[in-house]
Amino acid sequence: MPSVEYIPLKSKNALVVHSDLAILSALQPILSQRGFIPILARDLPTALLAMAQHRFELCILSMAITEKSDGWALAAVLRMCFPHAFVAMIAPEPDLLMLQTAINTGVTQLYLASDPPAVNAEAILRDYSRLAAGHKLQ
Amino acid sequence: MLIVDDEPNVCFTLKLIFEQEGFEVTSAGSAAEGIEVLKARRKFDVVLTDLHMEKEDAGLELARRAKELSPPPVLIVLTGYASMHNVRAALDLHVDHFAVKPMELPELLESVRRLAGLRTDARSAGS
Repeated sequence: MPSVEYIPLKSKNALVVHSDLAILSALQPILSQRGFIPILARDLPTALLAMAQHRFELCILSMAITEKSDGWALAAVLRMCFPHAFVAMIAPEPDLLMLQTAINTGVTQLYLASDPPAVNAEAILRDYSRLAAGHKLQ
Repeated sequence: MLIVDDEPNVCFTLKLIFEQEGFEVTSAGSAAEGIEVLKARRKFDVVLTDLHMEKEDAGLELARRAKELSPPPVLIVLTGYASMHNVRAALDLHVDHFAVKPMELPELLESVRRLAGLRTDARSAGS
């Protein structure tokens, strides 16, 4: 994540990019309840179009949007477009290379794909709130 | 730019490279020395630090201190001893770039240029 002061946007748009409709459906109401406007995408073209149309404060990505690990590339582009955004990546149990890739693509934090969507959502929103309040993530 | 590495040759080489890039470079030979430089309230756009110095992962404490600055500098970590522990710690600290030695200098240069430019753009957008 670029070392810039966190500046919250007035519009709390949240981009969620995941190929699994069930996960998108699970995350959407949780984000809405917490005051975000969730914008969902199941593929890269949809995600890119959303990025062209909105500014995002929170981005939740799957590491494997398609069968390739293309979440990393999207994370890197998101970081370039929205330097202040919290970028959460849902991924398998990370190895050393995955952790390094997360740092170098501007991912704020990793969350386990094996955890239920609701668990991940709560963890992401907690970490986002702490960062927004000026605290470091645990 | 602050460069912190306990290997004098590495410090000297990186200082030369980044001075040629137009950076005003300060170097330190230990995490403790680097922390003292940061405490002196010098403003740095970029901090580039080794991890293993006077003790294992000493650079993580320096990174933590750098992150407390306002605004925080671009933070780049270099190490020849990457482990799950120190990479995870670097991610949790929101380090901007993590490179494993021996790293490709052109890649490091490009990362610094990109991250420093991104920070400038973000600051302009926020003002």
